[in-house]
This record gives sequence, C-alpha cells and structure tokens, in this order.
Amino acid sequence: MISVDRRRAFISSAGLVVGGMATAKLLPEEMLLRDRRPARSQVAILSADAYSEGLADSFTRVLSMFGLSLRHKSVLLKPNLVEYIAGVEVNTNPLLVSAAAEAFRKLGARSVVVAEGPGHQRDTYLVLAESGLDAQLRGHKLTFVDLNRDELIKVTTRANYTGLDHLWLPRTVLESDFVVSMPKIKTHHWAGVTLSMKNMFGIVPGTKYGWPKNVLHWKGIHRSILDICATAPIQFVIADGVIAMEGNGPLHGTHRHLGKIVLANDPVAADFVCAQLMGLNPNLVWHLDRASHFLGNGSPGRIDLITEQLPHQIVPFNVLPEFAHLRLRPKTLR
Amino acid sequence: MTKRLRQILKESQHADAMWGHQGHHGLIESTCLAMLALYRQSGHEQSPAVRALRDHQNPDGSWPAFSGDEPDGCWVTALAVIALLSAGSEVSSLSRAIRWLVGARGREANWFWRWRFQAADKSVRFDPAKYGWSWVPGTTSWVIPTAFSVIALSQARRLGINRTAVVTERIELGVSMLLDRMCPSGGWNAGNGMALGVQYSAYIDATAIALLALAGHETAPGVRDSLAWLVHRLPGCPSPYSLAWGILALSVYRNISTEASNALACATNELTALIDRGVGMDDECTLAVCALALDAVEGDNAFEVRS
Repeated sequence: MISVDRRRAFISSAGLVVGGMATAKLLPEEMLLRDRRPARSQVAILSADAYSEGLADSFTRVLSMFGLSLRHKSVLLKPNLVEYIAGVEVNTNPLLVSAAAEAFRKLGARSVVVAEGPGHQRDTYLVLAESGLDAQLRGHKLTFVDLNRDELIKVTTRANYTGLDHLWLPRTVLESDFVVSMPKIKTHHWAGVTLSMKNMFGIVPGTKYGWPKNVLHWKGIHRSILDICATAPIQFVIADGVIAMEGNGPLHGTHRHLGKIVLANDPVAADFVCAQLMGLNPNLVWHLDRASHFLGNGSPGRIDLITEQLPHQIVPFNVLPEFAHLRLRPKTLR
Repeated sequence: MTKRLRQILKESQHADAMWGHQGHHGLIESTCLAMLALYRQSGHEQSPAVRALRDHQNPDGSWPAFSGDEPDGCWVTALAVIALLSAGSEVSSLSRAIRWLVGARGREANWFWRWRFQAADKSVRFDPAKYGWSWVPGTTSWVIPTAFSVIALSQARRLGINRTAVVTERIELGVSMLLDRMCPSGGWNAGNGMALGVQYSAYIDATAIALLALAGHETAPGVRDSLAWLVHRLPGCPSPYSLAWGILALSVYRNISTEASNALACATNELTALIDRGVGMDDECTLAVCALALDAVEGDNAFEVRS
C-alpha cells in the first residue's frame, strides 16, 4: 500500500510539474520575467532646429533635471552608426555624440567612451571616418571601441524570446556603469521603427554572430531586441530626431525634419514617446508593446514629460505599406 | 614599410601564439591574416602560430571564431584553410577542414527555404538555388564568407589537396552565388544587391574579396563593371583596411585591365601615406592586410586563385 501511495504521489507531482511547464509555455514570456519597470519614468523632449556644438550646454541643463548620479561612473555612448551614404542622414549625428560626451563629462563622469558595432559594414573605421564621427572623437579626445571585435563575455540571457540561453557580449558594454543608447529616429523596413531598443543590436558582436548579425534575424528581430535589452540594460537614452528618417528606413528612407531630441531614463518610455513624435502607435510595434509589460513604461500615466509636451499636431511619418497600420490619426496623438 | 608592419605584427602576438584585436583575446580571423602576412612560405609548419591555429580546430574540421568560443564552426574556417595552405601545414588538418567547408551551406540551400524565398518571400531579389556560405551555421549565404570559401577551396584544388568533383561543384556554385548577388551598378554589398525595390550600394572590402574569388571569371557578366566600380571608389578612401583589400583585388586584375593597373599605383601611394600617418592602423587585421597588399603589389598575392 505504501509503495502504491508513493507511486500515486510521484505521478501526481510529475503531473503537476509537466502541467506547470506546459502552462508556463503558453503564458506570454513577460509574465515569467521579473517586472523591472520603474514606478515612473522621465522623458525630456528638446526642440533643436539644427545640429551644433551648443547642444552640449542644452544637454547639461536637461540632464541635470534627471538627478543622475554620474560621479566616478564610466559612461558608454552607443550611437547608431550603420554606414555612410553621401547626403543621407543615416547615423546619429556626430555633433550630437560629442555634445552628449561633453555633457556627461561636465556632470562628473569618470570616463566617457563611444562604442558601436555596425551591422553590415566590416570596416568600422571607414564608417567612422566618412560619417565625420572620427573627427568629432579626435576633437573631443574620445575613445572609440569597435564592439564587433571587442573582448567577449558569455552572458545568460535575462529573457527568453529567442530561445537563446546565452549571448556573447562585449566586455566594454558589460563593464560600463552607465550605458546610453543614442539612436537615430527612423522607420525600419523589418521592425517598423528603430529607436533606442533596436539600436542595441549594435552591441552584438560581428566576430561571433557575423555581419549582419544574421542569427538574430532568424530568431526574429523583435524577439532579439527584447533579449538583448533585457540582458544588457540601457540606463539612459538620447535619441536624435533633429533630422529623422521616414519611409524605407533605416538606410533608404527620406529625411524628415522633426527638430526634436528625446532624453529619457527609461528606454521603453523613450521609444514610446519617439514613436508618438513619429505619429506612430507604439503599442502596435511588437517589441515595444512586449517591453512595456516588464522592461519599462509605455503607459502615459507612468511617463513624466519633464520639458515639452507632445505637439498637438503631427503628420505621421511615411511608412512602407506593411506598416500602414502603425500610423496614428492626428486626433489620437495625445 | 612591410618590414615595419611585420615587426609590429610580431610584437603584437600573444603568449599563446594567437593574435587578437587591439591586444584582446585571440581571434581566428586576426591570427589567420597575421600568419598569412608573416609565414607565407614553407618551413613554418611547426611555428607556434601554426600549432596554435591547428590546436583550435574543432573535431568536425571547422574553426570557432575565437579562443574560448563554442565549437560550432564558422566562416573563419575558410581563412584558416588559406593560412594553413600558405604555411604548408599537414594534410590531415586541411582535409578535415575542406570536408567541413564542402558540407557547409547557406540556409537557402534547404528545399523549404528555397521554396519560400522563390514563392512567398520576394522582398529580396536573389536566386536561392545559387547558394554559398554563411557567417555562422543555420543562416543564409553572404558575400564575404562565400568569397573566402571559394578562394580556400580553389587554392586547395590548385595545390592538389583535394581535386574531387564535389569541391569543383561547390566552387562553381559559390561563384554563381557571387555573380547572382552583385549590385546592379557593380560591386557587392554584404549580401544581396537589391531589396524592397532599392538598389544597394557596394562596399569596398566585400567587392574586393569577391573579385579575388572571381579571378579567372573576367568575362562573366558584371565582373568588369564591379572592377570599374572599385577603380572609381578607391581614390580618397580614408581607411587603410578597405584600401588594402582594394589593392589586393586590383593586383590580380592589373594584367587584364589598364584602369586596374593605373588605379593600383595610385591606391598604393595612398595606402603608404596612410600607413606613414598611422591613420586607422591600430588593429592587427588592418596591419596584416596592409602588409599583404604591399606584397601583392610586388607580385605575391596570398589570395590568388589562379595557377
């Protein structure tokens, strides 16, 4: 009798475990993840008609509103440096990068480095030189780290949207105290938009994953973005929307003079606000919607716009036909 | 100047006989390029670098991307073959590597994905029946891994390491993939030449490496256009890495094209000026490729596929 009871107990326990695992598989991934959303997030919209050295003072003033504690911290600026196409604003503007570096230095950062791993172009120095970023780096005595070839550390993923249980990520990123994602505000032909979270694709090393990081494309761009951002958190965002890109972004779209820079202490909140500035519905961008359930705030009720408010009127960005559903009607903007 | 580059390369070799990137952990790519720059003659079979490279070979014949990487094998296997062929390495290591290369193929080689790319997913213009090699297993073919694999197999065939029909077939398929993925205005981007109705622009390094692989196919459609693209793109190139790859390609075509020959002289002058100024010269791959480019100008091209 005792052995039968034990068998029943074992079968019941096993059933519970199997049932639990099956249920867990059916639950949305974010329900299984630790909720890392802050109670509230701050986002600053800064109007800027053009790129200039003067942006450093504006950044210092706005950054001080966030109450950041940067003293003795190492800051890593991650611009969006894709490739150079003459006459097309593809990359985060170099003046914006140097202005951010100067501002973080003024706020007491121990060190500021600029780091990026372009997705397709293996000659990182060529992109640096032709984009004008190299000149800015030299002028401001800034160190650049090629994340495609940096020393790598194997890290357990802190979300499981791709099924990858680990990623190899650059030591420079993982050992930085304060990672600042500096995207160019653009539409994206596969992901809908490319903002601060999508920008983190650039930390994934080409040495391990190739040029482009094709493994992640096959795992799904939205899913990869979530795993990367959950595993290598972004502490701050400075998004370049002075001249943004609409249409067939991120490379072959057209310029859109948005005249805005978005600063935020929460990448999800930053991307929600950026998408709204583009006249697009962030809740319909899969990775943004998912991220807003565990990684950061998407709900307007939990986002404080600490400088300017969203404009009353925005003409939605042109998008490829498959993303037409993202476009907001003007009256739903606010 | 090449002596100076080689001396810097020797000094940047790690204690484990590998090379990395700016002193970081050993990368197979850096190690192969440095070996090609330093040990491209027989008699180095037992050098520590050759032994280190062989020690990193996976049981299936492939190479990982770096020291400590998982043993999945990836695109650098082609570079390792080129480096070991140059150093006169033992045949068994090479045979296993060539077997792995012959079996490796882009994901579009699978019937399901080929069908999907042909029937359903037409946003990117390419012929999936013409497949090559990927950066890492399980992904689609890309230009640079395919070009290096074609070079590796062609050199192995030329040196008599493997002259089987299957090697010849893979070389021909790889060549057809490169020709298929060419940009409409010549040259090569990372992968396809056109997507979502947009013509992609070419990259210098991808174009140069593809042209190295296509030496002997000068009459194939688009090869001369791609050479012309490279000739016009190189002047003023600020990066020694891309310039050096451009020189390696031009040196192979100088005897069949006056433009290539003239451009080679100009590009060499520009490269030596950049090296003198130390611009963009702070990593081991660039140092090695620059040394290899200057050797190629003198007639000794490590990536030559013709007899």
